[in-house]
Amino acid sequence: MSQKKQSTEVNLKGTLVSVFIIGIIIIAMWFAVYGMYVAR
Amino acid sequence: MIAAQDRKLALWNIGVAYIAFLIGTLCGLLQVFIRNDALQLPSWLDYYQILTAHGVLLALIYTAFFIFAFFITGMSKSIGSFGPKVRLFSWIGFAVTTAGTVLATIMIVSGEASVLYTFYAPLKASGWYYVALALYVVGTWITSFALVGHYIVWKKKNKGQLSPLFAFMTITTIALWIIAGLGVVATVLFQYIPWAFGMVDTINVELSRSLFWYFGHPLVYFWLLPAYMAWYVVVPKLLGAKVFSDSLARLSFVLFILFSIPVGFHHQLTEPGISNFWKFLQVCLTFMVIIPSLMTAFSMFATFEIAGRKKGGKGLFGWFTKLPWKDVRFTSIFIAMAFFIPGGAGGIINASFQLNEVVHNTLWIVGHFHITVGTPVAMTFMGLTFWMIPYLTGRKFTKSMQKLGFIQVITWAIGMLLMSTSQHILGLLGAPRRTAYSGYNNHPSALEWFDGILTNHVTMAIGGSILFLSAMILIYIVVMSMFISPKAVREEDFVEFPMAESDKENTPKWLENWWIWIGIAFVLIIIAYAIPLSGMIHHAPPGSEGFRTW
Repeated sequence: MSQKKQSTEVNLKGTLVSVFIIGIIIIAMWFAVYGMYVAR
Repeated sequence: MIAAQDRKLALWNIGVAYIAFLIGTLCGLLQVFIRNDALQLPSWLDYYQILTAHGVLLALIYTAFFIFAFFITGMSKSIGSFGPKVRLFSWIGFAVTTAGTVLATIMIVSGEASVLYTFYAPLKASGWYYVALALYVVGTWITSFALVGHYIVWKKKNKGQLSPLFAFMTITTIALWIIAGLGVVATVLFQYIPWAFGMVDTINVELSRSLFWYFGHPLVYFWLLPAYMAWYVVVPKLLGAKVFSDSLARLSFVLFILFSIPVGFHHQLTEPGISNFWKFLQVCLTFMVIIPSLMTAFSMFATFEIAGRKKGGKGLFGWFTKLPWKDVRFTSIFIAMAFFIPGGAGGIINASFQLNEVVHNTLWIVGHFHITVGTPVAMTFMGLTFWMIPYLTGRKFTKSMQKLGFIQVITWAIGMLLMSTSQHILGLLGAPRRTAYSGYNNHPSALEWFDGILTNHVTMAIGGSILFLSAMILIYIVVMSMFISPKAVREEDFVEFPMAESDKENTPKWLENWWIWIGIAFVLIIIAYAIPLSGMIHHAPPGSEGFRTW
């Protein structure tokens, strides 16, 4: 049953990685400006 | 095709939108050259007039008229033709909004209202400018209520049913707009107009700014949500897919009603008249908006991946190459989405309380809104324009127009990339916003700002010029699709409104219970605003007289 369910599920691995990339961009930009704030 | 009278209404809205777009972008081009000291204006025109016109005509007028054209077209398609009353009030709303627009433009051009788009007191414009602003908001409210009326008629005929996704999203955006508008109407009617016409001598500056930003931040979402509507409803159809999740789409929209309004203080983080506690509370609420934004990002990627895999895309990112890149209706919106990634990340930085000190009064903010409203929103509207005008006029969206469409969105993207990157970096270095050209007495620090490859005057001017060229191509496409392109005769030449199917079988009914969402929104607004605003009124410092710095 669980195997059958798995085979019909949509593969969204690319989506998962894509949203992680967005998360990384957000964090990288945030820390870049945070670094400037701390340094000034 | 929708009813002829509804099409006429939508086309008039688009017409005014693109007249505003034409003048607004021309003002943008002039600014770039003035800031670089490459252009001397005639004595009757100054930088701040142009800056005000640029902000008002693009951010308020182009957006609002285009949004209502989109709503009118989509509502007529999704829940049926308008009745006579809905049509009448939509026309009245259009006329009142246009009257406000014309009056505001006259005031700006005649040098009576160089108060910038935020019209911060104690800068004082002619009283008629504030009357114009009130007319603009009330006009949009009249159209909004007309659309709500149309929705209520549908709901009565379809008791117990969830409305189509497009209609639901329209009503969500309108609810947000009406609640947000209360702030600006309050300050304009009870503070600015009595003050500008000399009925009172002074104005409570902090209160006026707070009421403006109570409106100003949800205004951002009034621009953004129609773009999201296109992303959720139009894009899947272009990919040959369904909406990824009807429940997710509806939930993200109602979360925007809740979390886009009680957050205006994050625009006022450097102001001394608001205590840190209230600023911090609103900063936290601002961060809640990240949730529906990331839900939208997830939903978009999932739609792309599902559609791309169906077309044979393999591996982790193979689906990406299978997307319909040759379709300008899709590619334009995809570029718009891509710009929103750094745009949204920048927004999180702006709202991060202390980090705001790094960027607040700098060109970073100008760069930020050019890669939020200026590209993700505007380019989505461009992507809609390509097919919406032919859909409404019954003309062809010809191959040459499609090619021009590609040139237009690519030039816009390049121009914006150059200009906004430059603005972001200059802002981080310390270059101020809201100012005309200044050499800062040749101070070495100020001169150094403009030494970089991306931050020199020439790069900015090239970026601005490319953007203007792109804007003119768009105006050409608009004129062609409205009046000149050949009429569609064969069935395959008719342009369709791409509206994806949305499976609402498993969508919970409570997602369309407006009492819940508008109720919670008001509770949050009261929590976030009641005490600080009452403090501003009861413990107000002496008010300020008006200033005309121009």
